[in-house]
Amino acid sequence: MIPFTQWLSQTSISLAIQTNEWVIPTIQSIHIVAIGVVLTSVFMMDLRVLGWAGRDQSLRETTARFGPWLSGALCVLLTTGLLMVIGEPARELLSFSFWLKMFLVAVGTLIATSFQIALKRNEQRWEESIAKRRTIKVAAVLTFLIWIGIVILGRFIAYDHVWGSWSLVPKA
Amino acid sequence: MGVTDVLTALESSHLADRIRISLYLFPLLESFHVLGLATVFGTIAIIDLRLLGLASTRRPFTRIASDVLKWTWAAFALTATTGFLMFITNADVYYHNFFFRSKMALLALAGLNMLIFELTAGRSVHAWDKDRSAPRAARAAAVLSLVVWITIIFMGRWIGFTTSHSQAKPDTDINLEDIFPK
Repeated sequence: MIPFTQWLSQTSISLAIQTNEWVIPTIQSIHIVAIGVVLTSVFMMDLRVLGWAGRDQSLRETTARFGPWLSGALCVLLTTGLLMVIGEPARELLSFSFWLKMFLVAVGTLIATSFQIALKRNEQRWEESIAKRRTIKVAAVLTFLIWIGIVILGRFIAYDHVWGSWSLVPKA
Repeated sequence: MGVTDVLTALESSHLADRIRISLYLFPLLESFHVLGLATVFGTIAIIDLRLLGLASTRRPFTRIASDVLKWTWAAFALTATTGFLMFITNADVYYHNFFFRSKMALLALAGLNMLIFELTAGRSVHAWDKDRSAPRAARAAAVLSLVVWITIIFMGRWIGFTTSHSQAKPDTDINLEDIFPK
């Protein structure tokens, strides 16, 4: 991984990001705006499953409202995230938080996608019974906790030394 | 007692010291600040997009507001608290930082915008509650709100890049290895 980060940091796109001081904070700011959209979209869908918000809306109406915003903002996050990896390869790729975060992003995206597919296939049963099951409500809470964990790990990429010997940062 | 005395008192408080020497506290405060502001921005965007007639247009405005605004305020409390705790670790530097000051001014502007909305278009909400989009004054408030909150996020990120981090040295606190030996 270290030779790869060294190669990546010497590519012209990486050098372009590194040499303009304002680029990284701008990308990070856009990343945070998109986090706002993703987190809130997941939150509103989870609240609907729990019956704490949007009770005048069906599950289908709720996912139709927030699903597209979730996917759109996830695309923005992937793009800005990729640019951050290209701009600062060692900071991201040699960080334990980064890889744990990527794993949780995969899990979170998989849950959101399968929920929407399952709902489409069996709309009536979801509205009438499935969403009322305790396991589904627990899953909604867990899903939200996963996204909270993703946001925390994102910030901890800047502090990888907190992981002690698990940190992938090369020892000086 | 002048501003400088207040800043010095905050900075030399036991609480500020506790945060500065900890390996985890400052990054955790930052993380919960991001979680809080993401929720503040996201829920406000739901309201603004509804006012503009761009999303949730079939639901009455008041119903969305009552669904969402309690979470906005709870998240705002979290964001303000974590922000204050970060501020006291390096109060003098933040206080004199251009981006910090701009951000505080924009927060005041966002509050004023909300207040004006409540006192004008908000008063007649029952006349347009079910309309696809709100009256012109309310739509203007929604655009201003979105622009201001996005700018606040940018300013916040710039504060981090223009102030020295109160980051602890790796060996001042518990090492994770001691808790989970490999």
